[in-house]
Amino acid sequence: MADLSAFTRFARTYQAGEIIFSEYEPGDSFYLIQSGKVRIAKIVGDIEKTIDVLQPPEIFGEMAILEGTPRSATAVAVDTVRVLEFNRANFEVLMMGNPQIALRLLKLFTKRIYDQKRRFMILTLEDPQARVADVFLMLDETQAAATAGAEQDGEKREFKVTIEDVAHWGGMGASEVQTILGHFANQRRVELYPDRVVVRNISDFSRFVNSRRKK
Amino acid sequence: MPKAANYRANSVIYFQGDVISDKIYILQSGQVVVNYTDIETGKDLREVIQTGEFFGVKSALGKYPREENAVVVSDAQVLIFTVPEFEQFVSANTRIILKMLRVFSNQLRRIHKQIENLMEKSEALSPEIGLFRTGEYYLKNRMYSQAKYVFSRYLTYYPAGKLADAASKNLETSESCMVKFGDGKGPSPSVAGPPAGTLSAHPGAGAAPAKPADTLRPQAGQALSDTAKEYYNAVSLFSQEKYKEALGEFKRIVEANQDPEYVVKAAFDMGRSVFMLGQFDAAIAHFTRMVQTYPKHPDLADILYYLGQSYAKKGDVERAKGFFRKILTMEKDEDNSTFLRAKKALRGLEEAQNG
Repeated sequence: MADLSAFTRFARTYQAGEIIFSEYEPGDSFYLIQSGKVRIAKIVGDIEKTIDVLQPPEIFGEMAILEGTPRSATAVAVDTVRVLEFNRANFEVLMMGNPQIALRLLKLFTKRIYDQKRRFMILTLEDPQARVADVFLMLDETQAAATAGAEQDGEKREFKVTIEDVAHWGGMGASEVQTILGHFANQRRVELYPDRVVVRNISDFSRFVNSRRKK
Repeated sequence: MPKAANYRANSVIYFQGDVISDKIYILQSGQVVVNYTDIETGKDLREVIQTGEFFGVKSALGKYPREENAVVVSDAQVLIFTVPEFEQFVSANTRIILKMLRVFSNQLRRIHKQIENLMEKSEALSPEIGLFRTGEYYLKNRMYSQAKYVFSRYLTYYPAGKLADAASKNLETSESCMVKFGDGKGPSPSVAGPPAGTLSAHPGAGAAPAKPADTLRPQAGQALSDTAKEYYNAVSLFSQEKYKEALGEFKRIVEANQDPEYVVKAAFDMGRSVFMLGQFDAAIAHFTRMVQTYPKHPDLADILYYLGQSYAKKGDVERAKGFFRKILTMEKDEDNSTFLRAKKALRGLEEAQNG
């Protein structure tokens, strides 16, 4: 790991359970984990969902680079956590001396740009049914990337998502998503479980979404 | 070591959609353009690559398909890097990374803005209300130290906010519960909501008298009613082919008779469950009653379809045909799935009779 001893003045320590930043809070700093684990969580509907658990030398809160945008999730210390806290003013100093960290941030950005573009593609669909279907296509692409090379079970796909998750991604109300999923279930295109949704034929969804996308 | 390569004019270095995107290029001489479709306007855009400039960086680092075509305009020489080679090269030239970080963060800012514009049309939560609700969640779940943090942040950012009074009450509650019971312990604390009416500015939200527990549901139609949740659970069971359990749930919704919209839906689904269980006489009785009770049911064609299928299963071909024909006369839309299913079922019965 890079030598960060010159940056001790940016060091912060958090105790287990302590919030580093809260969802919706305006943010202007991002963090580099030096020790301990950080849980990234989001309140969706009535439950707090853990999106990720991060550890050294990962970076979080990097969207703070976008001025004035509220945090999209909450960061909580899992155990005693030591981080370096940076903002736009001092981050160049850090990056210049630590190309490895700069590279990691660069990769994070490429991923964020892709995620956000994909999200935008979902939101531009006018047909709400197509939006819901496209959320599953997006999730499938993400899963495929994570399990590259692994055997896929034909056209059937399983997603660990709830109605609220789908509503969040589709920029829709939960009740509308519920109605649409119920409709898909009646058409035998999906199977619904409390903690997951099974899409019976992912190519069918893909054809459906493409037919609704304006050329 | 990066490899040098020569490309002829009009050749393509990579295509949009190429899945194998593990190379990064730097233009040394000649002319290369990348063209791509703007996701917002759908217009084809074109960008000239400068000599000495990298291209293909994002898809290679992010491991996703190429998003543009890289086309050679006049004979060009390029250097090709693998990702590790690229990383090694830029690590020794941090200024390059910083420059790319600036370019990428500008792109990120732009797409973020575009998404915000779209979300405004749908249902995004304002950061102020969102922050308050986050604190409320923690307090309700007796996570006092988290609640304390969030409410005190709320008061820092919105000292004169419309929820400031409620936030300071909740902050006090969090602090006293923390001292009295300790994190995660004690009885469910009473959570101060916003003053009546502050959050129901959304059109339509004021229509229904808000129950205290619902005051923090700022968007009309966003929250799921209990009946809606029960109905969804029942549909879930049906989709898992657990027809017996589904039937029980649908029946409960019909009998509770809470929300007319779901009662009607559940009544229809009760019939479908009975049909799937192979109880065709019961299905016929149920759907016949439904036609009488709801002569204008939105799924009338589907009801008739199930009636037809139930008779067909019982071997009463003439009656079955009658129902399918009825659907064909009442459905105007010939691409409607019920129309198509009825047509297919009718043809099937006729062929069986003739053959």
